[in-house]
Amino acid sequence: MTTPPGSDAPGLPQPDLVAAIPRLRRYARVLTGEASRADDLVQDTLARGWEKRRMWRSGSDLRAWLFTIMHNVYVNQLAVVRRDAANVSIDADPTNPAWQLPVRANQIDRVELLELMQQMGRLSPDQREVLLLAAVEELRYEEIASILSIPVGTVMSRLSRARNNLRQLVAEPGPGLRVVK
Amino acid sequence: MMPTPISEADIHAYVDGRLSAAKAAGVDDALASDPALAARVAEMRAQNAALRDAFDLVLDEPIPDHLLAAAVPPALRDARHRRTLPLAIGFAATLLIGIFVGWLVRDALIERSGTPTTFARQAAFAHALYATDVNRPVEIWANEEKRLVNWLTKRLGFQVHAPDLTSVGYLLVGGRLVAGNEKPTALFMYENADKERLSLQVRKQRGADETAFRYAHENGIGVFYWVDEACSYALAASVDRSQLLKIAHVVYGQLAAADASPK
Repeated sequence: MTTPPGSDAPGLPQPDLVAAIPRLRRYARVLTGEASRADDLVQDTLARGWEKRRMWRSGSDLRAWLFTIMHNVYVNQLAVVRRDAANVSIDADPTNPAWQLPVRANQIDRVELLELMQQMGRLSPDQREVLLLAAVEELRYEEIASILSIPVGTVMSRLSRARNNLRQLVAEPGPGLRVVK
Repeated sequence: MMPTPISEADIHAYVDGRLSAAKAAGVDDALASDPALAARVAEMRAQNAALRDAFDLVLDEPIPDHLLAAAVPPALRDARHRRTLPLAIGFAATLLIGIFVGWLVRDALIERSGTPTTFARQAAFAHALYATDVNRPVEIWANEEKRLVNWLTKRLGFQVHAPDLTSVGYLLVGGRLVAGNEKPTALFMYENADKERLSLQVRKQRGADETAFRYAHENGIGVFYWVDEACSYALAASVDRSQLLKIAHVVYGQLAAADASPK
């Protein structure tokens, strides 16, 4: 897949876009918890990115801009789902059963890693999202706040809750712990 | 030197490498004198490392073609393939969904009019109706087996066989013709020493693919049904599933042997 040489692709730098796809997929995987839904979300995000290409300021961080779009696309899709099923909510469903391991279990060779992933699945999507952006993507807190359209203070409190929850879950697994195969 | 108070936010920023050098030095000092805090920071760092380990695996996965295609500016995408193929797939999918929904609705409508639609249900109903009839469960009794088989063969339009189930303790009682959805159905009734009855029902199945044994349960009657050689078979009885499956295997084996032999 290459751009025809010399074509003045309007708006977005395509090589940067392609380079951003793996990270978009990872973020989507953390949001949706499921590979095919995640890729659908990435595709929707890229399509939305092209629609909004005039909003992107050349030279700014394309990845962060795409993360913002993805977050919004996801929240909108969730809102549609919520309208259909009143009991679905982005943060009122910490044990979302639809959330699976973001990676195939056989790729994980350490039991504690597998456990950690399962604990991740029990965090609220809000907390997972902040944890991924801070710990894995290593974005600045201000960038995270901008992507999620929330104050930096909220980023910090979500991050703090995410880490504490993860710690408690790991420390005291409780009766709800699924059997680790 | 007065240690500056360390906030919760500072701890996180420290772990994530987002704290200014001056503040980070303050946290370093605090860690040296506070083992509990040091342990917590170490744990948070371990968490970060573990999360990175796990989620980095996603980055190594090959990017699906449709996502690469989505990164191409819409104006440059090859209209012949990228536009028409999804469109064609969309049409085909819509058509299939339409057919499927229509089929479901059709069944639902027929069901509502009181007719059991699936062969398994019909088989269970027919069995319930005739097996409980002590005096007249069949139209032609087993003493006229040859006449029975010839008659059913003629009415159904293909060679039918009444399998011999003595090996599993059942003897042929006789048989009858039963109305089906579109085609008539042949029913063979069997009975064991305890006077428990089972029925084998056969009918032509238009355009059906061969299937494995399937099991259904209707009002206390178990039914194994399958499709073979363009015929549907259903074995119905009020016995447990494993027992019925055993009998189904015997029936299947005999019918396969009968089909293989010259008619």
